[in-house]
Amino acid sequence: MAHRILISPVTRIEGHAKISIYVDESGQVDSAQFHVVEFRGFEKICEGRPFHEMPALMARICGICPVSHVLASAKACDSLLGVEIPPVADQLRRLMNYGQILQSHALSFFHLSSPDLLLGFDSEPARRNIFGLLEQDPDFARRGIRLRKFGQRIIELLGGKRIHPSWAVAGGVEDPLSAPGRAEILTGVPECLESLRIALDRFKGILDEFPDETEHLGTFPSLFFGMVSETGTFEHYGGRIRICDGEGNVVADGLDPARYHTYVGEAAEEYSYMKFPFYKPLGYPGGMYRVGPLARCNIATSAGTPLANRELREFKQRAAGGAVCQSFHYHLARLVEMLHAVEKIEEIAGDSGILDTRVRAQAGQNRTEGVGASEAPRGTLFHHYEVDENGLMKRANLVIATGQNNLAMNKAVEQAAKRFVNPAKLTEGMLNRVEAAIRCYDPCLSCSTHALGQMPMEIAVRNLKGEVLSSRTRE
Amino acid sequence: MTLLIAIGNTLRRDDGAAHRVLELVGPAPGMRAVNCHQLTPEVAEDVAGADQVVFIDADLRPGEARLEVLEAGAGWNALGGHALRPWEVLALAVKLFGFGGKAWLCHVPGVDFEEGEGLSSTAERNALAAADLLRDIVRARP
Repeated sequence: MAHRILISPVTRIEGHAKISIYVDESGQVDSAQFHVVEFRGFEKICEGRPFHEMPALMARICGICPVSHVLASAKACDSLLGVEIPPVADQLRRLMNYGQILQSHALSFFHLSSPDLLLGFDSEPARRNIFGLLEQDPDFARRGIRLRKFGQRIIELLGGKRIHPSWAVAGGVEDPLSAPGRAEILTGVPECLESLRIALDRFKGILDEFPDETEHLGTFPSLFFGMVSETGTFEHYGGRIRICDGEGNVVADGLDPARYHTYVGEAAEEYSYMKFPFYKPLGYPGGMYRVGPLARCNIATSAGTPLANRELREFKQRAAGGAVCQSFHYHLARLVEMLHAVEKIEEIAGDSGILDTRVRAQAGQNRTEGVGASEAPRGTLFHHYEVDENGLMKRANLVIATGQNNLAMNKAVEQAAKRFVNPAKLTEGMLNRVEAAIRCYDPCLSCSTHALGQMPMEIAVRNLKGEVLSSRTRE
Repeated sequence: MTLLIAIGNTLRRDDGAAHRVLELVGPAPGMRAVNCHQLTPEVAEDVAGADQVVFIDADLRPGEARLEVLEAGAGWNALGGHALRPWEVLALAVKLFGFGGKAWLCHVPGVDFEEGEGLSSTAERNALAAADLLRDIVRARP
């Protein structure tokens, strides 16, 4: 009898989701879907509010990546003013963005994914978390926490608080970096570099232990989408959009982020509140693309900083056909980006002009439409605002990084389910691998929707009438 | 030094009661206050820098403000999301950063956790009582 296996909620991600695995009449996995079961209303909340409130309001979308929203929002507001922000404000925003990327990636790698990688996908679920990790390797766990804290501290030094800073504003930033703050940042860099060296060596040393997971947790050709600098290096704040295919060919380059709507479409499906963005020229769903660390490592020709560049060259050698198509390598790409972020933090904080106090351009509203884009930890983020002549918001459209990976995440869970799930004999380890396919992407569902509450993990095998044939619960 | 950590969302009414408690306690010698929406791993290092710590959190259960002595790691969060619970942060502080002081969880019962700002009269009353409890701890610090 055909039936459905339900994984709800998906664990060790930000927000709530569930996975349905559909089993055909012969008892084999037929397909799988990733459902996001939260609803977001932020775009509607904004209507009628003054646009200059947007950075502070948008920061509230998420407690994990508020900086990404603040920056994209501030850039959209810069566009409404029609101003170039002071150079030091540009650098300070970049500094905060690198702090954000570092803290978010550290949480994803050390806290959420390392338990699978270092303790094993089949290890006891009750120990397969950061506490199991600290018992096995306390130094590794400690370094992960301190890396995240360093990123958070940069955000706090600039924005006054770790969560929801509203420091980036239309025209620049509210406050300059202080001399003691700069000194503290520079003092923290060496330990971070050492921790990342240890993490990279450790992770690369065990990658060969996961051949099955590497090839079946979302390995498929797709487009890769993100921003690069004029010279093709990593670019997490400005730059132009480059799109490559699964063979590493550049499909589109130099695209203006402000015109994203001409090449990014947004589809909807009944089974999820999260939108399904796609590359318009290839249609839906053929225009599936991936964003985030894996995409950025694939589209960039070099990192732009020496240590990360060495790692990026090695990373690219894992590509069988021009681009690294294994979603499992999001983890490695995250480490490469963390290394790059720390190098850039040192570079920016070390610049002699970084303490300049002219950090905000003054201007009134000069446009009625503005788009801001930046690279959030999970991928490219667009904020698009339309305002009336009085500066009141008429419409907001947010294209969130996690949403842009929606098609790919669905494909990844289906591939993982087909490879690892035996419906006749379910084990927790099988289902953990399906969840792990999602964790590769480190989705932030609070951003892409709205989060509330916490649920136990429930896995149910159902027939097409909805009757539960068997179930497993993880409290 | 006594560390007071307020947890909660001030945009969900009584969920923000802990932050009100910190306002009421105010600054005091030998005390440091941290406000957060939810607990994340790096808070463990802040805890380790203190002699004793009190986590302050709103409580859905009815009753009066009270202090509960915390045991490190008394029940891990098997789901392992981004947010940690006080005893989990305490465990990280003990096991990774060598914290050896006392720890409490201060419960501040509330009744209204819907969207909005400001506390219900119940939560405000409990916040006042909680502030008294915490002043005693700060004054009696080792």
